[in-house]
Amino acid sequence: MSEATLSSSSYLQSLLNGQARPAASTQVWLNQLRSSAVETVSELTVPTTRDEEWRFTDISLLTKVSLQPALVSNNLTAADIKPFLIKEATTRLVFVDGVYAPNLSTAAKKEIVVSNLYSELAKNSAVLQQHLGSHAEIKGNAFTALNTAFLHDAALIMLPRNATLKAPVHLLFIASQKEVVSYPRTLVLADNGCEATIVEDYVSLQDEAYFTNAVSEFVLADNARLHHIRVQREGAKAFHIANCSAILSRSSNYQSVNVAMGARISRYNLNIRMAEGAECSADGLALIKNRQLADTHTFIDHAQAHGISRQLHKCIVGGAAHAVFNGKIMVRHGSQKTDSQQSNHTLLLTDKAHVDTKPQLEIFADDVKCTHGATIGQLDNEEVFYLQSRGLSETLARNMLTYAFGAEIIERINVNSLKHSLEQTVLEQTSTQL
Amino acid sequence: MIYPNSKTILEVRNLCASVSGTPILKNMNFTVKSGEVHAIMGPNGSGKSTFSKVLAGHSDYEITGGTVLFEGKDLLELAPEERARAGLFLAFQYPIEIPGVGNSQFLRLTYNTVQSHRGNEELDPLEFDDFVRDKMKLLEMREDFLDRSVNAGFSGGEKKRNEILQMALLEPRLAILDETDSGLDIDALRIVSKGVNHLANKDNAIVLVTHYQRLLDYIVPDFVHVMEAGRIIKSGGKELAVELETRGYDWVSDEYKAASRVAA
Amino acid sequence: MSAALQNIINQPYKHGFVSDIESDVAAKGLDESTIRMISAKRNEPEWLLDFRLQSYAAWLKMTEPTWQNAHHPKIDFQAISYYSAPKQKPKLKSMDEVDPELLRTFEKLGVPLHERMAMAGVAVDVIFDSVSVATTYKEKLAEVGVIFCSFSEAVKDHPELVKKYLGTVIPTSDNYYAALNSAVFTDGSFCFIPKGVKCPMDLSTYFRINTEESGQFERTLIVAEEGASVSYLEGCTAPAFSSNQLHAAVVELVALDNADIKYSTVQNWYAGDENGVGGVYNFVTKRGLAQGVNSRISWTQVETGSAITWKYPSVVLLGDNAVGEFYSVALTNHYQQADTGTKMIHIGKNTRSTIVSKGISAGKSNNSYRGLVKIAPSASGARNYSQCDSMLIGQESGAHTFPYINVRNNTAKVEHEASTSKIGEDQMFYFAQRGIDAEAAVSMIINGFCKDVFQQLPLEFAVEATNLLSFKLEGSVG
Repeated sequence: MSEATLSSSSYLQSLLNGQARPAASTQVWLNQLRSSAVETVSELTVPTTRDEEWRFTDISLLTKVSLQPALVSNNLTAADIKPFLIKEATTRLVFVDGVYAPNLSTAAKKEIVVSNLYSELAKNSAVLQQHLGSHAEIKGNAFTALNTAFLHDAALIMLPRNATLKAPVHLLFIASQKEVVSYPRTLVLADNGCEATIVEDYVSLQDEAYFTNAVSEFVLADNARLHHIRVQREGAKAFHIANCSAILSRSSNYQSVNVAMGARISRYNLNIRMAEGAECSADGLALIKNRQLADTHTFIDHAQAHGISRQLHKCIVGGAAHAVFNGKIMVRHGSQKTDSQQSNHTLLLTDKAHVDTKPQLEIFADDVKCTHGATIGQLDNEEVFYLQSRGLSETLARNMLTYAFGAEIIERINVNSLKHSLEQTVLEQTSTQL
Repeated sequence: MIYPNSKTILEVRNLCASVSGTPILKNMNFTVKSGEVHAIMGPNGSGKSTFSKVLAGHSDYEITGGTVLFEGKDLLELAPEERARAGLFLAFQYPIEIPGVGNSQFLRLTYNTVQSHRGNEELDPLEFDDFVRDKMKLLEMREDFLDRSVNAGFSGGEKKRNEILQMALLEPRLAILDETDSGLDIDALRIVSKGVNHLANKDNAIVLVTHYQRLLDYIVPDFVHVMEAGRIIKSGGKELAVELETRGYDWVSDEYKAASRVAA
Repeated sequence: MSAALQNIINQPYKHGFVSDIESDVAAKGLDESTIRMISAKRNEPEWLLDFRLQSYAAWLKMTEPTWQNAHHPKIDFQAISYYSAPKQKPKLKSMDEVDPELLRTFEKLGVPLHERMAMAGVAVDVIFDSVSVATTYKEKLAEVGVIFCSFSEAVKDHPELVKKYLGTVIPTSDNYYAALNSAVFTDGSFCFIPKGVKCPMDLSTYFRINTEESGQFERTLIVAEEGASVSYLEGCTAPAFSSNQLHAAVVELVALDNADIKYSTVQNWYAGDENGVGGVYNFVTKRGLAQGVNSRISWTQVETGSAITWKYPSVVLLGDNAVGEFYSVALTNHYQQADTGTKMIHIGKNTRSTIVSKGISAGKSNNSYRGLVKIAPSASGARNYSQCDSMLIGQESGAHTFPYINVRNNTAKVEHEASTSKIGEDQMFYFAQRGIDAEAAVSMIINGFCKDVFQQLPLEFAVEATNLLSFKLEGSVG
């Protein structure tokens, strides 16, 4: 980190004081949650590459961007957001620069709640108090603490027992102004046996620098099943730091697909804690070029026995881009019969592209099945040759194989229109890289 | 085959066993004489597999009553390896994979251990190689089979053949084949059965534990027993198996219940 | 876990005796005068004293590392004696003049020092506490130009060689314990294989800690010139004390063009008792510089001892086509902690590295593999293959893998695989059902698990390693 930047603790203070903090809520617990977060921020500093968790991700660039408070009103219209809409999604919550935009959203407020937090706060105070902020750890995490300090509104999804949502819910976070910081927040409470697909989507309407600092909490009760699709397609100069905690109760099932293709520097921390018999998948694709940095940190915590986890994380790195993957699998004492598989594959498209990867297994139970694997390299020349021998040009052969490499993740997205549009993006990006 | 004046190999009397406090075997009675082939049949959960593991001495099961005599000796007193050395062989339903341990090394160790306990000569690696290759022909096994790790990456059929190969090497007095037919295609079933039939003689005995009658077309039993709820509820000849195949198990169960009521 | 399995893994340490040998032990504590004292006792030249003092100055500015997956009470560096040597006549003309108690000690350890009864074809240098007490076959090796002697002798007889290579692979300020070693090291082994010479026999050093309060800081330097090759073996044991002894060694290897160094270790320092009391802290820095084209450096280690082991025998692959290898078995039991692995730093073109690590954890122990594979932008065509397997015995032990992979060249190919298995009741029952008792079964499973590593050991060592693991894992069964 350069000496010229602000000292790391005063930088956090400047963010903390850089915009008005939310007015006191009628809910005492929420005020307490925020003030303890403010306190935590004061004790922390911006992480540097000397911190093991940030060893390969230098965010000093972020501290050099001057960030202003967002203008409160930004009158986007339906036409502005049209390109981002997902046609299958019948419910949609739109946040513009972190602020809920009811005119662009289609909420649901009956048994199934798909709404902004603020309007549900009084009605569901007890359950919200129980979960909001209790799964996203602020201790030692400056960015989650900052987000929590500014917690005012959030995307809220509450699924009652055995509810099945056939259509996906679209959470759309739009950046419309430059040099602002926004604090998107999501809380999903899935009661016993319910099923849903949730798309968490970060997009931008402009190309200048800004900072998205997002926090999501997913709480799955027994037997609940959630698909969580996360698409990060921020602007090219954006900074995106996000923390997601998924808490899986007994026999619940959490399938997550995370696609990172935007932002100058992005960091996604996904923590999954699994109770007995829970099942999860945590798949990811980082598709980056130019001088982008995409860092994915996942932590799959087999806290109890009989859990099954699967992870396939891929990186396609072009230009002088830098991919980071740190995947930790923890199998705690007594978590017998855990079955965990992790693989991480990286494709380096250019001679300036690079990757740092650190898959980790920490195992404290003896009757478990755990494997992990990582490969880094170029396309397999044998495969390229095979396609050439069938009449394809070398360029086409390489594009096809690169596309196929990324498409393996995209195919796991269970929302067709989104899947197709992302496939198109992968296709475009891979064919311009070569 | 039933021979006159044959010796009793196994005598199970009122055997009761439980796993973590749940009774699985309830007053099991079962006698096997040399030369005989027995089939124990029954629906899933009737206690068939438990019975074979209890005889082999698996530590998951607690013996809560009854006696088992093996060639006149108290079998329950013996550690699992002592039972094996005494001539009791279990072909596992799910043979265990042991990565890194070479099959030939494993087979020679088990062969020599058992031979030395019987006061016989051990074989050196070269002698053993000839010996085992001879036995492998019987089971139509590929040459490279010896170089692989024990059961690791074996197909279901290969694992079962490996079990019968071990039976051929150890020459047990009593072989218990636990669901040896499950998961086998018809060719593998034919090969495995041929091996078992080849090994059966008037001095040893075979107990087939199976769910299906199919195996019994290839290895013909002298006696067929039906197990339910941890005990044998009906015994008969090989025709009983055919009847079970066509009529299912329910009628046996009903008959048994009726008989029990009368007895009560 | 069954009682049988329990018995098998909980065997006493048989090298835990203390030899009654009169020793010259320096007062505890460390400051500049301690370093001057060590240097003076060894009649060292000025440049070496300077090397030590510079290292000491660097060390004072450093802090103890904390990133390892191992925990211990803070070490009081002032409570350690930095010099201990058996009292003996100043110059030994032959083995017959060695203290008979010392000879008996090593015979008890299975390392006979009389050449007539020595292991055939292996030259041995013996380090007792901090000092080399005997080197066998020296003259015979000298005939082909191989220098094999204690580090002290090398400083005296071959100062230009020592000066040229000392600290070139591991700079004095490389890390906390390497800096400490560079300041206070006392003795060790020196091997020099001149151009074109294939060393006619395996070279071996046997390390023994005997004094309770002394640290052991030995220094090993092996240089293989162009086209030379050598196989070097290292063994270590220590008595069972209830306190912890610090062992902070530094080993540097240099391989020039087409040279080949194979370094094998069987580490069996005292591991502490079943409650985790006592045992050696084994904080060792080992690194090889594969400097020349087509050079090859291969580390093989069998780590069974020490309360805590931190070591990462590494290879810097500088020469084009250089090869680095790391084969490791680490066995931990009771409260032992091992955090070990390797670093493969690819700089030259078409450099290749192979990592095979097998960790076995029993009792309440923790066993971590930590490795770094780094492909520099210059390392076109570099290849790495890593395989890290863990085996757990019992429900209270832990296995961890931390592979760091940094790739800066897109023509490189890096593959990493890891798995975890266990010795389960089901496997044991399967063996038992075939007449094989628990001891033989465990030994067979463990040896099968470690086969890929044992194959890399020289024959004499392979036997020792197998026995050692069997010894640690065998015992009377119920």
